[in-house]
Amino acid sequence: MFFRLYKYSLMRSVRDRMTLFWSLIFPVILGSLFAVAFGSYTDKEVLFHQVPVAYVQEEGADENFSLLLETLEKDNGLVQVEKVTEKEAEKLLREGDVEGIFKNGIKGGENTESSRVKAEGVAAGPESQLGGGVLEKSGISLVVTGQGMNQTILKSVLEQYERTRGTLLKIGKERPEGIAKAAAALEEDFSYLREGGLGDAASNSVLDYFYSLIAMDCLMGATVGLMCAVEFKANLSPLAARRMAAGTSRFLLLWPDLAAKVTMQFVYLIFSASYLIFVLDVPLGDQWGFLLLTLFIGSMMGVVLGFFIGVCGRMAYPVKEALCIMVMMVSSFFSGLMIDGIQRFVERYVPAFARVNPATLIAKACCSLNIYDTYGRYLENMGMMLALTAALAAGAFLIVRRERYAGI
Amino acid sequence: MQVFKAFFRIVNKNKMPLFMYIVIYLALTLIIGSVMEENSQAEFSGVSLDIGLENQDQGSLGRGLEEYLGTQNQISSVPEEKEDLQDAMYYGELDYVLVIPEDFTEKFQAGEQEGILDGRAVPGSSSAYLAEQEITGYLRSLSMYLKAGCSAKEAASWALADMGRKAEVEFLEEGEGQGMPRGFYYFQYIPYVFLILMILGVGGCMNTFKEKDLAARNKCSSMSFLSQNLQIFLGCAAYMLAVYGIFMGMACLSVRDYMFSLQGAFNAANAFLFGICSLSVAWFTVQFAQNSQMLTVMSNVFGLGFSFLGGVFVSLDLMGEGARKMAKFVPSYWYVAANEEIQKLETFADGGKVFQSFGMVLVFSLAFFSAGLLVGRMKVKER
Repeated sequence: MFFRLYKYSLMRSVRDRMTLFWSLIFPVILGSLFAVAFGSYTDKEVLFHQVPVAYVQEEGADENFSLLLETLEKDNGLVQVEKVTEKEAEKLLREGDVEGIFKNGIKGGENTESSRVKAEGVAAGPESQLGGGVLEKSGISLVVTGQGMNQTILKSVLEQYERTRGTLLKIGKERPEGIAKAAAALEEDFSYLREGGLGDAASNSVLDYFYSLIAMDCLMGATVGLMCAVEFKANLSPLAARRMAAGTSRFLLLWPDLAAKVTMQFVYLIFSASYLIFVLDVPLGDQWGFLLLTLFIGSMMGVVLGFFIGVCGRMAYPVKEALCIMVMMVSSFFSGLMIDGIQRFVERYVPAFARVNPATLIAKACCSLNIYDTYGRYLENMGMMLALTAALAAGAFLIVRRERYAGI
Repeated sequence: MQVFKAFFRIVNKNKMPLFMYIVIYLALTLIIGSVMEENSQAEFSGVSLDIGLENQDQGSLGRGLEEYLGTQNQISSVPEEKEDLQDAMYYGELDYVLVIPEDFTEKFQAGEQEGILDGRAVPGSSSAYLAEQEITGYLRSLSMYLKAGCSAKEAASWALADMGRKAEVEFLEEGEGQGMPRGFYYFQYIPYVFLILMILGVGGCMNTFKEKDLAARNKCSSMSFLSQNLQIFLGCAAYMLAVYGIFMGMACLSVRDYMFSLQGAFNAANAFLFGICSLSVAWFTVQFAQNSQMLTVMSNVFGLGFSFLGGVFVSLDLMGEGARKMAKFVPSYWYVAANEEIQKLETFADGGKVFQSFGMVLVFSLAFFSAGLLVGRMKVKER
């Protein structure tokens, strides 16, 4: 009997167009929109690219800076220099072809138009310590249109140059006998830092949106779980009333129904996740077995959550449906579906909520497969998901056991 | 005006979800607006990094390096658990992690400088490059002082003083780098909420009038078909104006000064035109929706679809080339483009690009309206 009912329940689920849309098509649409919107985010905002910069040099200006730029371009690959006239440089900057302009004027000279805003002058502190004045200025300035990472890198290049110059001037003043050795030290090329990597996935925080999307898809199961409850409680649907009057125990009718709903939800999830991984090329990791296990437990939790809401209270079906959607959306919101970083925010300020929020648990389980090289955090989240599912199932069972109707 | 009145009675019946969207939207834009405004600065301060630092060195050089990094970055301690550290770096709370070993001062003075520090960062990230450049710069100055015969203490304090030298940075135009005003953020997300409100509000009413029995009953009433349709049309227009009025009213309350500037006037016009466009989109989508469930589906698909593709939620600059080309085929792209251009305006006469975008939004309105008419006609013929 179990398998016959299971088969018919599966067939009914497939024919439910709204579930098909919300569990299968909507995540695919949302995933595609995420991919379009965030596809280039990591590449543009996180990863380093050679910074294009225009270079304007006046006659008689400091040649050392040109040499430094050449080294940074050829040996370090830090900047990409374009030597142009001042007008061309401004045009390139306005059109966004370069991130900034290095203007190398005559030492100590004022090479800028007065109308421009001087954002930061040469700091007074070190100048006075060096007994400096106009002569201490290198005459090199940087012109930018914004203040992002690339502009900061260019500023840092110029600053390093100014600082090394300052160091040489100071040594010339305080220890003139050691200036040759100091200049020789400048030639030495050390890499002072010994790098320790953190794994490639660490550079891709945009993945959080996709993890939350998977979590939302799991929780979509709540609406089908609710349908199970509607078809189980005699005061909610005529079908349930008919089942109540049947000779067979209604729990024997419930198990195949719940199993079919979990199966369908799991199949929809596999489809959505495959679409994300294979079509949109989202790197969700290569631990397929664990990912599938997470999706399965996630869909089970979604369906049981919906069933629990369905059997609770005497509210009408539309109210319970609205409640299911609200729980799903609020839970997904706090797992980071709409705002980047909200999950971390909740974890820091309301850790108890983060530990029991179903969408956060699913998203974190998927995420921990990708970023940690141990399974501690993964197992912790999975354990919590199982505990939550068991608690909801037990709660629902306690509510409906021995339920009898005097009249409907 | 019986039909007109009935139209608003239906709107009144469906008011809860509409009201919910309005409240959530207003709360979110006000929060985003105030958060973003705090971040905008008039001076070039550059990006300041979050560095996790563990200084095991007791010598003056390690202390100097720690002091130097602290002058322009936020320094915090390194999480003890490896997983906490990975978490902090994954969520961008730490850009770089640096461990200064206990024998740093002695080794550095002895000239053992290769791989002397332990650094960790997200591989290939810009912040890693920046942090390494800063550390290398300081150590180079330090090494130069030591080679020139200075003591460790002198070297550390002089190198730190040298690090105080700042580069001369200017903005190409006055006012650049200051970020967008709050008004910009208030208007940025209008397409999403307008599309949802129009599709749910207008769609809900139109569906009721399209209901088979009611439509048949209305057809045999004494009121002419033209009059009925005109009143529905008027109802839609009045609903759109009411929604527009609510949002402009809230804008006047939350960003009052902005609203009474040139930018505010242009933004109000931009939002009005997008209101018309949303109404056309609603008219088009309603042809496909038979019930309220389908309307919710449509409002989500069109609201989210147009917002993500058009650059409402994620800046157009962050999208790839192909995505940006595709974006030009949705009206919200032109709305967002106009919103960005409006911020650059100084006089009414500079508005060439803005007017171009206004025109495109109107063209889209016409296109959706015509498509809706066509689909409606085809459905009537099918019957």
